[in-house]
Amino acid sequence: MSTLGRILLVEDDPKDVELTLTALDEYNLANEVVVARDGEEALDYLYFRGNFMTRAGENPAVLLLDLKLPKVDGLEVLQQIKSDAQLKMIPVVVLTSSHEEKDMVASYRLGVNAYVVKPVDFHEFVNAIKELGVFWAVINEPPPGSIKK
Amino acid sequence: MNQAGIEPQAMVQSKRQLSRPISEVQRYGLAVTSFAIALGLALIAEHYGFRSGHMALFVFAIAVTAYYGGPGPAVVTVLLSIVFFDYFFVEPLYSLSISVSDLPYFVVFICFATLTGSFGAGRRRVERELREARDKLEIEVAERTQQASLLNLTHDTIFVRDMSDVITYWNRGAQEMYGWTAEEAIGKRAQELLHTVFPEPIEEIHAELLRSGRWDGELEKTRSGGTQVAVASRWSLRRDEQQRPAAILETNNDITDRKRRELEIRTLNEELGKRTAELESINKELEAFAYSIAHDLRAPLRHMAGFTELLRKNTASLLNEKSQRYVTMIMESAQRMGNLIDDLLAFSRIGRAETHKTMVSLEQLVQEALAEVRQDVRERNIVWKVGGLPSWYGDRSMLRLALVNLIANAVKFTRTRAQAEIEIGCTDHKHNQVVVFVRDNGVGFDMKYVNKLFGVFQRLHPPEAFEGTGIGLATVQRIVHRHGGKVWAEGLVNQGATFYFSLSKSMESNL
Repeated sequence: MSTLGRILLVEDDPKDVELTLTALDEYNLANEVVVARDGEEALDYLYFRGNFMTRAGENPAVLLLDLKLPKVDGLEVLQQIKSDAQLKMIPVVVLTSSHEEKDMVASYRLGVNAYVVKPVDFHEFVNAIKELGVFWAVINEPPPGSIKK
Repeated sequence: MNQAGIEPQAMVQSKRQLSRPISEVQRYGLAVTSFAIALGLALIAEHYGFRSGHMALFVFAIAVTAYYGGPGPAVVTVLLSIVFFDYFFVEPLYSLSISVSDLPYFVVFICFATLTGSFGAGRRRVERELREARDKLEIEVAERTQQASLLNLTHDTIFVRDMSDVITYWNRGAQEMYGWTAEEAIGKRAQELLHTVFPEPIEEIHAELLRSGRWDGELEKTRSGGTQVAVASRWSLRRDEQQRPAAILETNNDITDRKRRELEIRTLNEELGKRTAELESINKELEAFAYSIAHDLRAPLRHMAGFTELLRKNTASLLNEKSQRYVTMIMESAQRMGNLIDDLLAFSRIGRAETHKTMVSLEQLVQEALAEVRQDVRERNIVWKVGGLPSWYGDRSMLRLALVNLIANAVKFTRTRAQAEIEIGCTDHKHNQVVVFVRDNGVGFDMKYVNKLFGVFQRLHPPEAFEGTGIGLATVQRIVHRHGGKVWAEGLVNQGATFYFSLSKSMESNL
């Protein structure tokens, strides 16, 4: 637990952002979270464009990706990442409300590293976020070039 | 054939003209009579002093006999004439002496008899030939009349037109279909009468007709009343002895009804196609709707639950017991709504998912379902009876879900029993159908609500007695329907319930 990977949270719903951050905060994982509010912003971050033109050069340790996003949706972001030699190593976790099998199948086909359906129950939700955060930001050894604190 | 209506009259006329040949007796009678009349007239003339002209009378008698009676009677008349002419009118009178001077008379008689006899023979020969020709004609006429009347008997429309399109025959079927009688139609040009609409240029039809001798196709024609009629038309070309095209025999059958039905079917099919497209688009909308429920409804629900939980955490010391209970109820309701949405989505997925049918061991499926259900009820006292079940054609995961739902149901509604008894088996196993049942000794149900059992969100018990969203049996029904089967139930209040489902073997059932 000495290092903490940076989490890129791609989520358009501010309430979900708040709940996710609250859940991460409970386990002291929230201080290295960057929030992108749509798919375009997420890609901007990854490609150092727009608001993120001047950010530091490493990739996030994990990307928590909602599927239903304004402008560029989650699956498109996923496809973009997994077809880019520089970005494809970043672990991507789809974090969605959708139980839909076709979303899950599409995600795995595009090479997603994990698929998590947000539980309605808050305790379950907090648990899921905590475990995700702990696993990907702490336990998992991210690929070279990722931000570690 | 086309002359059939005229020929019988011609036949009657020819019968009147050509009298039958006269008999032997009549012929010789004619010989004797004509001779007797000539002799009588000659004697009367003699008596009144006319001395000339006797011979002409005898010559006339010989001529008549030779002409009408033939050679035999002619000879008789000649001989009689010679004898009696010699006796009464040649010097010496009243004797039969024959002198050289009498010879010219005899020569005249014989020559005349020969001449007129040969005329008569010629006439008779012509008559005989005419008779024979007439007889042949009669037979032919009879045959053709019969054929024509046979053609009139058929319900098919038959008419013949010559190569200049003039109608020469028109049967009763044609009259019935088009409205014109044979008298009205024969002699008219077919095109002027029927205004036929051809499916291809008439030149091509004629070329085909000349090449193969026949043509068939569908035509539009106009009746005498002006209404249109669609016909299946078959044409045959008749050639004359020199193999020149002579006439076209056309047979027509009314296919207006068939065409109308074809049109109806086509219209219905188009309608069906449109409806199918509509249904598909509605289905897509529903899918989008379900997706939207999954995503959009669950998110606010999660927020409600999440922030209520945070609220409770932050205000635990501030709220009184009642308010804390309210907070708990909000959370429970959010949880329940989440379950309902999840179940409804699962139910709609059953309807939308494609079935993947294979041979499935129902017995193994029951074992799997039991293993799944039993995990949650280890502490319960349940007596399981599982009978033998066949292998059947169906979607494995769907059938498994149906069995899990039914068994879980049985477990749930036997909760109040000290010893629950649950039996799973099959009652009916025919070659094309199997009936599986799940029987329990639980709380049962009133048969008057049996129709509500399988409805979505239908529940017969209050939630505090038995939890559940009321979607389990609806899911079972949907799965069974997708396998072309039926579900039904029997039960009595507090006497347990039995749920049945049948599966048909039809591989096509994929509703």
